[in-house]
Amino acid sequence: MASTASTAVARGNPVLKWVLRLVVVGYLFFLVGWPSGLIVRRTFEGGTQAFSDALNDPDVTHALQLSGTIAIFAVLINLVFGVGMSLLLVRYEFPGKRALSALIDLPLAVSPIVVGLALILVYNPRYGWFGEGLDAHGIQIIFAKPGMIMATTFVALPLVIREVVPVLEDMGDDQEQAATSLGANAWQTFWRITLPGIKWAVVYGVVLSMARSLGEFGAVKVVAGNISGETTTAPVLVQQKYQNFEQQTAYAVSFLLVAAAVVCLIVVALLRPKDHTTSRATATAALQEKP
Amino acid sequence: MSIDVSGLTKTFGDFVALDDVTVSLPTGQLTALLGPSGGGKSTLLRIIAGLDQADTGTVTIEGREATNLPARKRNVGFVFQHYAVFKHMSVAKNVAFGLEIRKRPKDEIEHRVEELLELVHLSQFRDRMPSQLSGGQRQRMALARALAVEPSVLLLDEPFGALDAKVRKELRDWLRRLHDEVHTTTIFVTHDQEEALEVADEIVVINDGRVEQVGSPDTLYDKPANDFVMRFLGETTDLAGQTVRPHDIDVSLSPGVLGSTQGTVTRILRVGFEVRVSVVTEDGSDVLVTMTRTLARNLGVEEGVKVWLTAAKGATSVPVMAAV
Repeated sequence: MASTASTAVARGNPVLKWVLRLVVVGYLFFLVGWPSGLIVRRTFEGGTQAFSDALNDPDVTHALQLSGTIAIFAVLINLVFGVGMSLLLVRYEFPGKRALSALIDLPLAVSPIVVGLALILVYNPRYGWFGEGLDAHGIQIIFAKPGMIMATTFVALPLVIREVVPVLEDMGDDQEQAATSLGANAWQTFWRITLPGIKWAVVYGVVLSMARSLGEFGAVKVVAGNISGETTTAPVLVQQKYQNFEQQTAYAVSFLLVAAAVVCLIVVALLRPKDHTTSRATATAALQEKP
Repeated sequence: MSIDVSGLTKTFGDFVALDDVTVSLPTGQLTALLGPSGGGKSTLLRIIAGLDQADTGTVTIEGREATNLPARKRNVGFVFQHYAVFKHMSVAKNVAFGLEIRKRPKDEIEHRVEELLELVHLSQFRDRMPSQLSGGQRQRMALARALAVEPSVLLLDEPFGALDAKVRKELRDWLRRLHDEVHTTTIFVTHDQEEALEVADEIVVINDGRVEQVGSPDTLYDKPANDFVMRFLGETTDLAGQTVRPHDIDVSLSPGVLGSTQGTVTRILRVGFEVRVSVVTEDGSDVLVTMTRTLARNLGVEEGVKVWLTAAKGATSVPVMAAV
């Protein structure tokens, strides 16, 4: 609707069309393009020297590895639980469903710092609810990887679910019922029918979660306790290096973070159009259908 | 051997979809579950398929107790109103689905898919995606998919409901011919009485969660159990306390026949070969009479003319229900 309205406006007035384009491009340029571009420029100001120096810094490589590990775990957890929760929310009726649905959006609304603090309250080895018991068994959550993974998972929790739920709703359960009546069990139905149907929503949710997890700062900083060289993730390192007047290193790591995010989005953009056009063709075919 | 449903009750919240339904659906026949929307016929079909669970009652399919059997073990084929095609699979893959689940050998699957696509006239579309098919073609594919697993029963839930009138008519004839070829016990749900009368061997009329009548199309049309069945299976009008069909009323311009009802023609409508005459009787009720153009001309029926109406000899009639 909106797009047809705007094309109608644009068609009516070529000046307006160009003004609108200019506003949009300018807005994106000053807010996103220019700042990100500056990072790239600063990184490579003195050639690739500063960049390769940064990559040879063991702090940097460790932080990148740590960020990568945490992001992968957080994404895997969110993938499994996200798809499961989406199925639960769309396919089943149970008391408290709406409350659960609202709760899933909580991580988007709450400041990540608060998430970190909340996790500390629960899992702190000295006075946390579970912390003491876990600590007694030698399991350390806070100031260690498990806590950082949990914080990251918490923050990125809604992303897969919010991508998958509308697609599942749109898909309906007709195909699943058909599969069941043809003899497929629950697992076969999920694997052969449901998952292919929500494939692209899952991919998109995973990529968004990946980008979000790699960049998470606040929640992770609180639970990580900043044990230098051990629990410093890439975004935290950027802040540290910047404050220690090691700007070149900070820019280099920033560049890598931006690059990772851009690669994620490009991968999705390259993968998606194929499917997008077919699903749109399906929708148009369904609309125009004169059987 | 048959499908036996006994004492089936199903409620959705306050709404009673099925109220103590007991019915036996014969093997090898094409049976229609006919009734108005929301009458419970789809619910009955879904319970037979195992897609819904009844609150109470039992289902027996071909002598096998199936009440608590999951849908995937009932060996029924189900065809949905909106086709429920597997969108991401080609036509051939859709048809092969049930066989692949059953882990049949590859060449057997291929052979069977070929055979079924032939049967539903979709052989040339085997590698297409469902989005490239018309609605009628998708439904034929869904039928082939359901038949692939050689179900003991084929269940169709308003199979032609989403199609336009012309295609619906074609598919209806085709379904009848298909059934004559494969003889699978088939039950289909419809709210279209014409569809049921034309295609089915046996019709079960369902209304308000209850079975109103079971019988052949002729039985239902000629000997309706009550005025609901009579009204649902075709046009009716009320004459002298009886529900009759409008074409079963004899019109005379003189009071010759004993027990005839006197009235005045208020309106005449000519629709093709048919003439629809509205008559207001002396007690003020409206009666609709239909006749052929020729008969109307010969009689000299015109607006304002006094007429005497009698139900034709041998006409189907039931007493008018006070509540209706």
